[in-house]
Amino acid sequence: MEIKTEQFTELAKKELKNDRQRLFLKLIPPVMRMKREAGFSTLPDAPAAMACGAAIRAEAMARLPELLEEFEKNATANGMKVVWARDDKEANEFIRNLAKEKGIQYVTKGKSMVTEETALNEVLEEQGIEVWETDLGEFIAQQLHRTPFHIVGPAINVPVEEVRDLFIEKIGLKEPTLDPVKLGYAARLFLRDKFHHVKMGITGVNMAVAETGTIINVENEGNIRFTKASPPIQVSVMSLEKVIPTMKDALHMVRLLCRSCTGQRLSVYVSMDSGPKKKDEIDGPEELYIVIVDNGRSKIYQDVKAREVLRCIRCGACLAGCPVWRQIGGYAYGWAYSGPMGQVLNPMLLGLDKTQELYRASTLCGACKSICPVGIDHPSLFLYYRSKDVLEDPNFKSKERPWAERQFFRIWSFAASTPWLWNLGVRMARPFINKDARDGIISKAIGPSEGWFRNRDLPSMAGFTFHDRWKKIQNTESRGQKSE
Amino acid sequence: MEQSVRDEILTKLKAAPKAAFPARPHLPPYKTLSMDREQLIAEFITRLTEEAVVVHRAKDFPEALEKLTVVALEEGLKKVMATADDVVLRLDLPAWGKKNDIQIMTPRDFPDRESYRDAVFDQAQAGITGVDFAVAESATIGLIHNQDQARLVSLAPILHIAIVPVDRLVPVYEQVIEKVFGNKKQCPSQFVFISGPSMTGDIQGVLFKGMHGPRKVIVILVG
Repeated sequence: MEIKTEQFTELAKKELKNDRQRLFLKLIPPVMRMKREAGFSTLPDAPAAMACGAAIRAEAMARLPELLEEFEKNATANGMKVVWARDDKEANEFIRNLAKEKGIQYVTKGKSMVTEETALNEVLEEQGIEVWETDLGEFIAQQLHRTPFHIVGPAINVPVEEVRDLFIEKIGLKEPTLDPVKLGYAARLFLRDKFHHVKMGITGVNMAVAETGTIINVENEGNIRFTKASPPIQVSVMSLEKVIPTMKDALHMVRLLCRSCTGQRLSVYVSMDSGPKKKDEIDGPEELYIVIVDNGRSKIYQDVKAREVLRCIRCGACLAGCPVWRQIGGYAYGWAYSGPMGQVLNPMLLGLDKTQELYRASTLCGACKSICPVGIDHPSLFLYYRSKDVLEDPNFKSKERPWAERQFFRIWSFAASTPWLWNLGVRMARPFINKDARDGIISKAIGPSEGWFRNRDLPSMAGFTFHDRWKKIQNTESRGQKSE
Repeated sequence: MEQSVRDEILTKLKAAPKAAFPARPHLPPYKTLSMDREQLIAEFITRLTEEAVVVHRAKDFPEALEKLTVVALEEGLKKVMATADDVVLRLDLPAWGKKNDIQIMTPRDFPDRESYRDAVFDQAQAGITGVDFAVAESATIGLIHNQDQARLVSLAPILHIAIVPVDRLVPVYEQVIEKVFGNKKQCPSQFVFISGPSMTGDIQGVLFKGMHGPRKVIVILVG
């Protein structure tokens, strides 16, 4: 799928015109938030549980290389085949070659953000291998050729009428209906046949436990369980930051993930694989491949601050919590990851140059940070990216700022560090800045700062500086004391 | 070549600056940890009911069979797939099936994956399984998958009937994890926590049960 992160403003404007979607965005996030809060209220100490989640993920990142080696060692001892991939190309190539070698005609897939990132589906389809996304939302998004609107409900915004028409066209829905339950059931029957005969299943990984070499998948629909149980070959793809030190830590993270995601105490299915099926088992994979994908993460890891984004467990809570996402929805972000999660992740994966608007499209209100179960400080990361961008750090692929802006700030920084010049400047600038003030408010400017006032105001500047006023008051007072 | 990709990535990660990480805060215990047996059972039943799981309670295995007969009649069961785990074996389902004119299939009746998949996908009206654990913290049962506990039996049929001996009920997940994953050399190929029927809210946020897995889960508590 084409990456459109550079078109953020354009796309956002378009999304804002979709009235039906905006109504939906008014109604659903408050419900999600209520469910989330109800979920967290079932923990004996929710803030401590979140702090513990942050500590676990921070530890996992601090010990990342060591934990990956431990995971690999245990997974391999359990009979899993661990494969490493530097980037999307290598990961896709391995899976494509494996599918070809095994004579696979189609695969079923569990929802996996990392294969969304690597665009695996397109690569398999080019080889004539059919790919069936089996999470209902992801199935709909795939058929519509869209990126996920929301990480948990990828097509939750799609109107029922559109789903009905899609199902009539793609899966031969016989009795047109607007009942979401009947539509879901039609998808069940269609995909059931795929599960029944599938020979290779592809899933993501929610957590990879170093201590035991176990992968964990969390879901409600059962499509991941089918994808892992029915076919003789299972491929599970994970980005390398998914690793967790121990099973006990993993269970704590599952508690947080489910509550943060949907408000559930536990999702319907939490399945944990520690190896392929044993010889006398009739279902489950005979061959189980774990593909560990780097795709830029080892580079992000070099920067201790930016590394914080690798803590993310993809719960999606920050999306519905974000005042920007709640206006524009998920498409405007232009790629697999949307909302604050995408705004901190995409710039690191794609480069600061290709995501200019993403880390600037934030009011820095901190709603995302306050609900993040792993303690990611999104606002500080936005500021960090902005500073890296203007400082033109080559490691972050920053984009050169406009000439006028750079000159302005060069002069600004000289003036701000030269007291006499600063004092002169603040006195001289007043009449100039205040010339457009109306009733004490400046709401427009002519020249390069025009754009800044597009949706902001400034109070007009006082006629005198504080120092001038203070001098004047003291003079008046000392005169008063003399006259006494 | 694979080896070099692995080494390249790990070397890069190891060369990165080291960072400190915060200590784990103290977490107060879950309320289920201070419950006595009957309270724990009551809590578990409340959680199950919240998740739309139908709960029957039997004092022993013969009574559990009676409950199963009622369920089979209500659901119109004629052909079911049962696992061969230690809980189900105690019910002697083949004899029960003969008496009630219900055909009992088990995964072992099938020579290969294909014929087994045909039966479990297309013929079984219900899957009957035991459980290895139940957790009162949520409406959760835990199944260790092995030669006696095939994976698709609790997943493919539209109805899942789980036989839960109350002595397998524990307060929190950690107790299960310790038993199942305590010895890392003996981890099961797959372990699963199930909490209610399969569901989704992916079309316009409308929740419904029975997306891909069972639409209905019935728990028969024994003891």
